[in-house]
Amino acid sequence: MPAPATAAAKAPLGQTLIGAGALALGALLAWGATSISSEAGYAGVGPNFLPWVVSVALMLCGAFLLWEARSGGYREMEATSGAEHADLPAFVWVGAGLLANAALLTTIGFILACTLCFMLAVRGLRIAEGKPHGGAKGLVLDFVTGFLIAAPAFWMFSKLLGINLPGLTTTGWI
Amino acid sequence: MDIWNSLLQGFATAGTPINLLWAFVGCALGTAIGVLPGLGPAVTVAMLLPITAQVEPTASMIFFAGIYYGAMYGGSTTSILLNTPGETGTMVTALEGFKMAKNGRAGAALATSAIGSFVAGTIATILVTLFAPIVAVYAVQLGPPEYFMLMMLAFCTVSAVLGKSTLRGLTALFLGLAIGLVGLDQITAQVRYTAGVPEFMDGIEVVLVAVGLFAVGECFYTALYDGRTQQQMNRMGSVHMTKSEWKRSWPAWLRGTFIGFPFGTVPAGGSEIPTFLSYGVERKLSKHPEEFGTIGAIEGVAGPEAANNAAVTATLVPLLTLGIPTSVTAAILLSALQGYGINAGPQLFQTSSALVWALIASLYIGNVMLLVLNLPLVGMWVKLLKIPRPQLYAGILIFATIGVYGMRQSAFDLFLMFVVGCVGVLMRRFDFPTAPVIVGMILGPMAEAQMRNALSIGEGKWTVFVERPMSATLLAVVVGVLLLPPLVKALRREPG
Repeated sequence: MPAPATAAAKAPLGQTLIGAGALALGALLAWGATSISSEAGYAGVGPNFLPWVVSVALMLCGAFLLWEARSGGYREMEATSGAEHADLPAFVWVGAGLLANAALLTTIGFILACTLCFMLAVRGLRIAEGKPHGGAKGLVLDFVTGFLIAAPAFWMFSKLLGINLPGLTTTGWI
Repeated sequence: MDIWNSLLQGFATAGTPINLLWAFVGCALGTAIGVLPGLGPAVTVAMLLPITAQVEPTASMIFFAGIYYGAMYGGSTTSILLNTPGETGTMVTALEGFKMAKNGRAGAALATSAIGSFVAGTIATILVTLFAPIVAVYAVQLGPPEYFMLMMLAFCTVSAVLGKSTLRGLTALFLGLAIGLVGLDQITAQVRYTAGVPEFMDGIEVVLVAVGLFAVGECFYTALYDGRTQQQMNRMGSVHMTKSEWKRSWPAWLRGTFIGFPFGTVPAGGSEIPTFLSYGVERKLSKHPEEFGTIGAIEGVAGPEAANNAAVTATLVPLLTLGIPTSVTAAILLSALQGYGINAGPQLFQTSSALVWALIASLYIGNVMLLVLNLPLVGMWVKLLKIPRPQLYAGILIFATIGVYGMRQSAFDLFLMFVVGCVGVLMRRFDFPTAPVIVGMILGPMAEAQMRNALSIGEGKWTVFVERPMSATLLAVVVGVLLLPPLVKALRREPG
């Protein structure tokens, strides 16, 4: 269903930044390409050939995106779904969950780190839906739910399928 | 009857209890993730790639193929009941299927899509059985220049032709190619773009990018923008079709199959075009055109569903015979094969014929399993839609962690997954297609190696790409694919 394009997607500032980002990435790749050897052998093109192609192409794309953004916005935009304004607090909770998971996984083990990630993410997604977080009872419930997903998953993948996942102890159970 | 013998051999391999179990688990899991919003077959297979370290290749390919297939069956259920297609291929199903369900005919819509998927899947598997070995015989004669051109064709179609905007498609493609550059150069083992980070030496895992873009990106997007979007679910009826509905479905299934199959075999990226094409054909041919878009026409579900499944099955032809993926999931299957050190390509039918034929045989078996799973048991899957969204998406993050960390035991990758997730949100918000990123990062290094090998053959001269007739033909096709759509557009704008 074509919904009206949201204001956030229309705002040229965001589009300008994306274009500038592509341009910058291309420039960064070009800078990196200068230090790659051009030793070509029989082929006539060496390991630095594709890096140059990609960096020039990305810079061109970035320039075109910038031009589109400055001259009325990106062409043929599909309306993006959802709200006009980003729900930043919700995102911070979810993002914090993932980052905490990444930081703590090897120290407190897979099950506990993922349970924590689950609790934080659920809280964020509830905020996004505008629902109450449920207080202390909700916290306990989320902990139990997260644990009941993470623990069996851990056992199944590490014991049955032999995937190496970190545990808090070396028992292989937590 | 060489094919017949090979196929029987394949059935013998696929029919062992352990492989049947893998097929069943794959089909069931595939149906589940197809039904659930927020997860597709590509990201699910990606998350499960770490199992390739332990499970033998045949079993895991059977498992992954089951997921790929099952997701198509499950996706139509969600399209019909929720009007939120999980997959681009089931988008058209949502058009008529949701209208039918709204008018109390959900059961018939579910039945025609499940049976249609079965019919199309089975016919398409027969076609794969017959044609793939023949294609493989011819494909052996292709050299690096031809392969390079085929890959260029895949790049062009996936980025320039399919999306709304060629510019944004190309940007996504080059982003994928840039990601593929990180690590060791395949030919000279030269280190590229590692910035001194040891984790980058082995390159960036496709699991990480797929999971980051699709699963984490989706979760972030829901938190940021989609939290308040409410969804309404249609009621299920009993799953059966009346005699007249059978009569209207049959021809549509067959037409859909034969529209879908050819599209899956060419690098035209996925099932979007054939499903829309089939929908258009059914609408034109239907004796009940007044039902389209109003109360929902059963042909409009039957045709596109069949086209979708036929196209999905047909993607196996280029994947197994040329090693060229024509969809995101196929690209990830390809990287699973690479993980085993198996080179997908024409030699596959000789070097790994047991695997190939077991995989093909398992498709026949999987289709039967899926029909059972999706017709009598459809009510069970629908219950999955009752899982509240916060718990569902937060749970997905746990499995994302398993996939990304399990691939090479690096917490660094988890931080990187966060970053890729943020990129995924931006891409979705600004309407950049994500498929070119995945295809670019997997095919990029392969295309580069083929190009340099081709140039070595031509002793450094670029004319090698036009001197060989097949390569020149493919080059012409690439140019045509790039130039025709804008030309047609420009001509249409001209008055008269």
